[in-house]
Amino acid sequence: MRSFFVYGILLMTLLSACEERVNIQLKYEGDKIVVNSLLQPDSVAYIRITRSVPANVYDESGFAEIRDAQVTLLQNGIAMSAVQQQTIKGRTYFVSKEKISNGNEYTINASAPGLTPVTAKDTLPPAPEISGAAAQRSSTRVVFTLKDRPGARDYYKVRVFTCGPGDRPDTMRNFRLDPAFNNNLIDVITNAHYASLIMDDARFDGKTVNFVLETEYPINATRMMVEVSELTCGGYKYFRTSDAQIGNGGVLITEPATVYTNVVNGYGIVAGINAKRIVFTTE
Amino acid sequence: MSLAGKLLTGILCLLLCSPLKVSGWDWQTRVTVVVKDQPLKAVCEILEKEYGIHFSYSRELVDLSRKVTVTAYQQRLKSLLEQLFAPEDIRFTRVGDQLVLQQVKRSTRTISGYVQDAVSGEKLPGATIYAPTLKQGTTTNQYGFFSLTTVKDTNSLIVSYVGYEPALLPVEGQANRILLVPLQPLASLQEVVVSATDKTKLQDQTQMSRVHLPLAVVQSMPKLLGEADVMRTLQSMPGVGGGMDGAGGLHVRGGSPDQNLILMDGTPVFNFSHFFGVYSLLNAEVVKSADLYKGAFPARFGGRLSSVVDISLKDGDMRHYHGDVAIGMISAKFNVEGPIIKDKTSFIVSARRSYPDLLYNATLRTDGDFGRGGALLAYFYDVNAKINHIFSAKDRIYLSLYKGEDNLRIKSVPDTALPDAAGRVTESSRFQLGWGNTIGGLRWNHIYSTRLFSNVSLNYSQYAFRTEYNFKSKMPATGQASDLYGKYFSRMKNLGLKVDFDFRPSPNHSFRFGTAVTAHYFKPGLMDMSDKGAIPVVPLDTGKNGLDIRGTEMLLYLEDDWRLTENLYANLGVHTSGFLVEGRFYHSLQPRVGLRYMLPRNWAVKASYTHMNQYIHLLSSAGTSLPTDVWVPSTQRVAPMYSRQVAAGIAKTSMNNAFEFTLEGYYKTMYNMIEYSNNNTAITENLERWDENVVIGKGWSYGGEAMIKKQKGSTTGWIGYTLAWSTRQFPDINRGRIFPYKYDHRHDVEIVLTQRIGKRWEASASWHYTTGAPLTLPVSSYQGVGTPSPWDPGNGGDVALDRYDGRYNYRAADVHRLDVGITYSKQKKRWRKSWNLSVYNVYNQKNPFLYYMKRDEEEKQRYLSKVTVMPILPSITYSIKF
Repeated sequence: MRSFFVYGILLMTLLSACEERVNIQLKYEGDKIVVNSLLQPDSVAYIRITRSVPANVYDESGFAEIRDAQVTLLQNGIAMSAVQQQTIKGRTYFVSKEKISNGNEYTINASAPGLTPVTAKDTLPPAPEISGAAAQRSSTRVVFTLKDRPGARDYYKVRVFTCGPGDRPDTMRNFRLDPAFNNNLIDVITNAHYASLIMDDARFDGKTVNFVLETEYPINATRMMVEVSELTCGGYKYFRTSDAQIGNGGVLITEPATVYTNVVNGYGIVAGINAKRIVFTTE
Repeated sequence: MSLAGKLLTGILCLLLCSPLKVSGWDWQTRVTVVVKDQPLKAVCEILEKEYGIHFSYSRELVDLSRKVTVTAYQQRLKSLLEQLFAPEDIRFTRVGDQLVLQQVKRSTRTISGYVQDAVSGEKLPGATIYAPTLKQGTTTNQYGFFSLTTVKDTNSLIVSYVGYEPALLPVEGQANRILLVPLQPLASLQEVVVSATDKTKLQDQTQMSRVHLPLAVVQSMPKLLGEADVMRTLQSMPGVGGGMDGAGGLHVRGGSPDQNLILMDGTPVFNFSHFFGVYSLLNAEVVKSADLYKGAFPARFGGRLSSVVDISLKDGDMRHYHGDVAIGMISAKFNVEGPIIKDKTSFIVSARRSYPDLLYNATLRTDGDFGRGGALLAYFYDVNAKINHIFSAKDRIYLSLYKGEDNLRIKSVPDTALPDAAGRVTESSRFQLGWGNTIGGLRWNHIYSTRLFSNVSLNYSQYAFRTEYNFKSKMPATGQASDLYGKYFSRMKNLGLKVDFDFRPSPNHSFRFGTAVTAHYFKPGLMDMSDKGAIPVVPLDTGKNGLDIRGTEMLLYLEDDWRLTENLYANLGVHTSGFLVEGRFYHSLQPRVGLRYMLPRNWAVKASYTHMNQYIHLLSSAGTSLPTDVWVPSTQRVAPMYSRQVAAGIAKTSMNNAFEFTLEGYYKTMYNMIEYSNNNTAITENLERWDENVVIGKGWSYGGEAMIKKQKGSTTGWIGYTLAWSTRQFPDINRGRIFPYKYDHRHDVEIVLTQRIGKRWEASASWHYTTGAPLTLPVSSYQGVGTPSPWDPGNGGDVALDRYDGRYNYRAADVHRLDVGITYSKQKKRWRKSWNLSVYNVYNQKNPFLYYMKRDEEEKQRYLSKVTVMPILPSITYSIKF
């Protein structure tokens, strides 16, 4: 609600405002190692190592990869096999040989010449219990059931896809929780739909909840997929704060949203994530 | 001569001369005494030593400790003794060769009553009643009542008030009666000029850190879009700042807007603004006067840390019907007052509404954007009503009501039934957004005796914010129908009973004491949604997102304005309060001390110490005041806020009352301040656990304020300068390091001038300069991530994120602005008309409203961009007074 007003004021402001560039030299903290890795159980680890840039750099390719970085992955403090560099879709990743598994703590250390070594660690969350995904073609509603763990703090990320040939999800669909469920008036007023939903279980702890999602456009695919990922607390903070910063658009009317990081001496996020997907046929 | 004759002559001579030989003095004896700042006793000792004058008195009964400065050369003894002993009421008589001193006991005389406008009967708070020869005086309280007890003989008193002709009040035979002192308002145009005449001189007030703002000052300021405004006028005083480009509330001596106690006729107000803080919630025409306390808080005030704004509203004319109508660029307003029963009962009603939406609405209807049944309304309004009834010379009651709101209503009923991109056909939609205050007060003034006055008040204050949305649609392809309804609601209420007494037992003491109990009711952040479509959707989770808390606050206070010696005065007080909420009880004892010492040449040096406590907190996004902000009570984890402030300064009003000068320094510490921790504003808005999402810290504010004010003549105004620092420290913000407050401005200069030109014209100008506010800018940029595997569907998180390191690594640009206004007034037979032309930001200074990191897709650059919202803004207002 609060952010709605901030954006409201911004909208009114920008309609009547004039704007000019401020020529100042922005301070720069210096090059830092950026480690990004979301660790998924039963999957190898994909670790991306890049370098930070001054805030006034426009070109996103400015996030230069650090290919000569020394990266180690530790499981419960014990080094795993050396990670291998792989180029996937034009980007360089450091990929583990072994798969990540539940019940362990993982640490990633990275160093590079001329840069301060960094380290980050996290555990893995349990898999979410979801079932009963369904949707009616030409409608805008997708339903599924989530069984939440009682007494534990759970964090979730939800996404919706339509599937192509071979049940491969090909298009991410914008959606929102059914307003009557979500009690989120602003979503309704602004008619806002999102690529993903990040939430905690504060309002349904231990319950089995039927989620009703409303897609932005009518469903026309025959096969769909609902993906629910359980997050660790660190992952949840990262997604919420990065969403807040991106949504704010860099406006400094309020205090800027600081994106959560657990990388010591550097930036980025190392967090466990446990995604469960249900592919289903629309009715 | 025979021997016998010689003897007789000698005896006679001896007899006749012997007293002179023994005493060597008489009443005509010329004496020389020069002492500086010595007790009377020292003067007596000099007379005894130099002239053999022996004094006899009882030390228990006669006090000779008063310090005096005497410069008497060859002065007659009797005249000197009169000069020394008369002020102390000490009688001296000669008995043999001794001067016997006796303390005279005289009956005291108490003059009391009301000071009021001679034309309307309006009571005048803050008017001065002064006995110039005795240098004794007092001021009327907020109900216009005064009581002056004097042990001296005096023939008359001078009664004065800003904007009124001073009056001479003969007091012979008026003792122990309740008087009505009428003051004649100055000529019509002067009514809107800062044309102070005689008033309490600064050096005669122990109170420091206070700004008294009569209606005349508010009205003489240049207007923003045609609106004279109390809050904007207060912002032009030293030590007081506004938020973004003047909007966003009051920041007093480094305090935040929630730390201001704003009282409207004694009733606290939660949100004192319209239109996101641009305008005050009050029509300036109904304001009688406003007092802003920045420090040295009298014990009768409490509950907030940084300031008290005590606003008195007009009571209504007891004798004549009159009013005014005005239309400006933003709003139209009227004000009517008059007697219901002449000299017994009066009323005043005023209303104001912004009107640009009516013009938009007409255009939109023409364009058909919202369909035939559609409408757009975006406005603020406020209504004030007050009835004042005199039951007897000793009893009167006031009933006042206020209702003010900001509203936005959009209703759309499309004329066509075309489906949107989602395949939905909108049947109707309705959106409503509003917030506002409802305030009521019932006050009973009673005079028990000429020395004891009381006020009993019952207050009600409510702030509510609500949003409602209704969206009715259908999806022809599936037959799906929806009738969504939702609302978000916040309400904070206060119901209070307060009893205040004003007791003036002697010239050296003026007591105020009282008690109050206030019931707080917090119900913020409730949201409720439902779908009443063809297949009604029962909300799966209606988990309460809001709070429903009651609390009770109680207080007791006592203060004494005490004349300790001829030169030393004190205002001593204590305010004690308690707050009971959810089974917890918080309490505090708050000492208040004010001291004044008179220096030669009528300079007064003042000092104060105050302790303030605040049991309720405002949950607000960092740095901005929004209508959605909610008040919550202290919790187990978040204790009440408190502050300590010391201030010292000098003050003087020139002999002819033309100039006032003040110089003050202050140091304030604030504890248990709250702020959202860095990440949590984004993470949760769960009000039930709000206290887990804030961090608790300290704040410091210190600085100096200087002000010189010209208040007489055709040119009036003031120059104010503030040098200030305001910092905060929270354990989890800025790595625990001290950082500046969001509105920490190092230098602030205000120049306000008003010039009367003939009988009909008045020009005014104000120039404001302040150094830039702190700003947090990113220190680097880096890549983010979205999915565990590059093979996963969807966005891999190829986003750029900014890194912020701590708070406030930059300063925004300095802000300065010149506003001017000119008013032409003409008195007609039955009414007076006036035109005001004001220009805001005359030289179109591009002051920053906000900054943001802009991604310029055309230039392929990313840079800091400054947004300005208040360019040069001319406005015109036409008003009629009848």
